[in-house]
Amino acid sequence: MTDEIKEEVYEVDKLTLLDCKKIALKQEKSGFLTLEYDGRTYSRVDPTRLIPFLSKTTYISLSYENEEKEFREIGVIKDMKELSGEQYKLLDNFLEYKYYMPEITKVYSIKDNMRGAIFVKADTTSGEKTICVRDWYQNFRMLSEKYLYVNDADGNKYFCSDIEKLDRKSRNVLEMFT
Amino acid sequence: MDLKIKLPENATDDIVYSLPYKFANDGEMVDGIFCADKEYIYIYADGKLEEQYKISDFSEFTCRRQIGSSMAQGIKENGDAVCFCAFTQDMFARFGEVMKLLEHYVRTGELITETDEDEPVCPSCGLPLEGGSECVYCKGKGSTILRLLKRIGPYKKYFITAVICTIASELVWVFMPYIDRIIIDDYVTPKLIDWGGFIAIVITIVSLLLVGGVMELLNMRNSFKTALSIGRDLRQEVFEKSQQLSMSSLSKRTAGELINRVSGDAAKLEEFITANGKDAIVKLLSLMIIGGLLFVMNWRLALMTIVPVPFVFLIVKKLFNVMALRYTAVWKYSKNHSENLHDILNGIAVVKSFGSEAREIAHYEGCSIKWAKACVRAEIMWYLTIPFSEFILTVGNFLVLYFGGSMILGNEMSLGELIQFTTYVAMLYEPIIWLIHIPRTLADTSVSAGKVFEILDMQSDVRDIEDPVEIDIKGDIEFDDVYFGYKAYVPVLKGISCKINKGEMIGIVGHSGVGKSTMINLILRLYDCTQGEIRIDGVPIKNIDQHSLRSQVGVVLQETFLFDGSILDNISYARQDAPFEEIIKAAKIANAHDFIVNLPDGYNTRVGNKGYQLSGGERQRIAIARALLHDPKIIILDEATASLDTQTEKQIQEALGRLTRGRTTIAIAHRLSTLSNADRLIVLDKGKLAEFGTHKELMKQGGVYYDLVMAQRETTKMKNAPLKTAQA
Repeated sequence: MTDEIKEEVYEVDKLTLLDCKKIALKQEKSGFLTLEYDGRTYSRVDPTRLIPFLSKTTYISLSYENEEKEFREIGVIKDMKELSGEQYKLLDNFLEYKYYMPEITKVYSIKDNMRGAIFVKADTTSGEKTICVRDWYQNFRMLSEKYLYVNDADGNKYFCSDIEKLDRKSRNVLEMFT
Repeated sequence: MDLKIKLPENATDDIVYSLPYKFANDGEMVDGIFCADKEYIYIYADGKLEEQYKISDFSEFTCRRQIGSSMAQGIKENGDAVCFCAFTQDMFARFGEVMKLLEHYVRTGELITETDEDEPVCPSCGLPLEGGSECVYCKGKGSTILRLLKRIGPYKKYFITAVICTIASELVWVFMPYIDRIIIDDYVTPKLIDWGGFIAIVITIVSLLLVGGVMELLNMRNSFKTALSIGRDLRQEVFEKSQQLSMSSLSKRTAGELINRVSGDAAKLEEFITANGKDAIVKLLSLMIIGGLLFVMNWRLALMTIVPVPFVFLIVKKLFNVMALRYTAVWKYSKNHSENLHDILNGIAVVKSFGSEAREIAHYEGCSIKWAKACVRAEIMWYLTIPFSEFILTVGNFLVLYFGGSMILGNEMSLGELIQFTTYVAMLYEPIIWLIHIPRTLADTSVSAGKVFEILDMQSDVRDIEDPVEIDIKGDIEFDDVYFGYKAYVPVLKGISCKINKGEMIGIVGHSGVGKSTMINLILRLYDCTQGEIRIDGVPIKNIDQHSLRSQVGVVLQETFLFDGSILDNISYARQDAPFEEIIKAAKIANAHDFIVNLPDGYNTRVGNKGYQLSGGERQRIAIARALLHDPKIIILDEATASLDTQTEKQIQEALGRLTRGRTTIAIAHRLSTLSNADRLIVLDKGKLAEFGTHKELMKQGGVYYDLVMAQRETTKMKNAPLKTAQA
């Protein structure tokens, strides 16, 4: 019986940690990356943060779609720090844009329309805006004691890594909603 | 939808689409504009033309949703993809529309510049309209409390009686201080003994009290009648709405949340109407009557009593906003608490099997504590400010006593008059204090009312047309260039076209996530397709009355849901009025009768919560009997035998064979052997219909189906090999 299970899950139970020294990434016109690794070339490589809320530069999965358009994982980069400076910048740049998520730096006011939606007037790293959040008790929530995660009505995401570090007024405004 | 939002400088009139974007195709942040004319796509970055692409070089245009941004891509005939630009998600609907129109252009040569798609967001509040033409939030912006009060309409007879009775009993109380004054000024102060007059006064008091009591009784009866009826209506409406809404709207909410709204929030509104709806009218009236009386009696003293009132109202106004927020927090935590409870109790089997009781207890405790803390915060705020404002309010009373006393000493006023006056002042403060308390009640109620109306205002995205037809289904089903995506612009099914004939058994196969269940959901019209049309017996599915459609389609799923009740109840759920003999016949055909006979309570055996007292195979056979009794014209089997062992599967297969005889059947199964008796097979691949034909034909073709069959044979061999070795 054990043999049977081993046979079946042989491919999936293997975690391939990539050797950062062998990684050579290049930007493609398709918007994806090309990876040369261990003598093989993979095109349209899509990097994914495995734990996007906990870490932005560790455990990055690199995958591509094969000719049958099936998902194939090449492997996982344990820590991007191991990459060369230029490779780090390329990958980080891609991830930052794929996971584009402005940080909230100040909260001016939160208006509740009493019908499930709130309007958060805030300063973010991409400028001042009014963030409309529908079903706010699902989409405006604390992922830990400090980390605020906001998913607005359009699907844009915002975060605040530590609400304790915001100014007093912002904290007071947030208090009722977090 | 406006597809020309931001034009580049020196733009020509030929530009048909022009949208701003935020990221270049290498991910760099730029202030860019994507625009297109009849021939080219132009990519501007920071005011300069960076790239130019010929539209006819591409065969497909798509938007690819990423996590925090999305990209617009063109795909060439040879499969090469080009990323034009990337943008934030608020632009997704517009870019999605442009990509759709560009693809239509390269496919048909017709360039559509004016799209009739609605604007994606409400211009005034910024919330997405999600397909509606009006913003539900801005349209019905009238106060939720006002909407609640409007619901009194059908019960106005009772309500008005209640109001009249309360006013009458209030009048009795207003008259009482006048009698006190007569007693003091005419009998106590002059020490007059006039038994005749005194008895007349006593009789008046007793009769007034009697009248007051009767009025109060009538008032209570009618108020409760109104409030309980409104509560019942609201509960009923929320429940009805939850049954009518489409699957996509419902899947956004948990069962616990819906239960909370049906029972908890509606009950709070009921309480509000009993306690406050009528009070509002009566208290305001008594405020005016008593205020008027005070001014008539002595306007100078009356002014003193109302000096602190503006200050108190100022405090109250400030308080309202704060209290509303605090009570929202209370609502949020109480909701979390009850959903958590619902979740854990529902999944109790999982909790027990992982031995994580202690963790769940701690988790529950956390929710409970948070809720309690939110309540404490709201209540503390309340009790810190209210006694203080009440104190300020009564300052007027001291002023009245001081100046009134001086007036008595100066013979400007009698003692009885002052007592009558001060009694009125106390009576005046009662409605004012009630008004102070109202923010708390209003805040609490408007949160609940908001939640209830939010459900009532929801629009189902699967709606019947104005004059839906009721048809007697024969069983022909036709997919005509059907596109569908659970999220707009992300299609799961692409261009599906096929014709299923009456009485045919069709198997749908393909990898998981390829859209098999989606096809079935579309036949059941749990969702509407985004493009194309599905026809049943030649009638477009959108024109068929939803109830008429579903009542003629039978479904057997992998996980069978049985309601808590007896086996009899569960089988007859399909047709309540079915005679018992027909139920037995259905159970016999479903291979269920034999095991039911062996149960001590026969057909009256309770199946327990979710049917957990029966085995998987037994539950499945009951579900088949239920479907049989329904006598459907179209049968859907979604992995109906997937979770059963081979022996049970054989019995179920027999039962299913009898069920599907002569009826159009559509079956999904992962195990391809299960579909051996299918007339034809639909093979889905990457959301498209890859192959359609008999088992033989498809095997001959050597395409996707052939690969699937071979892959499964391999797995079966692999599974059996070690066993054989072990046996040997």
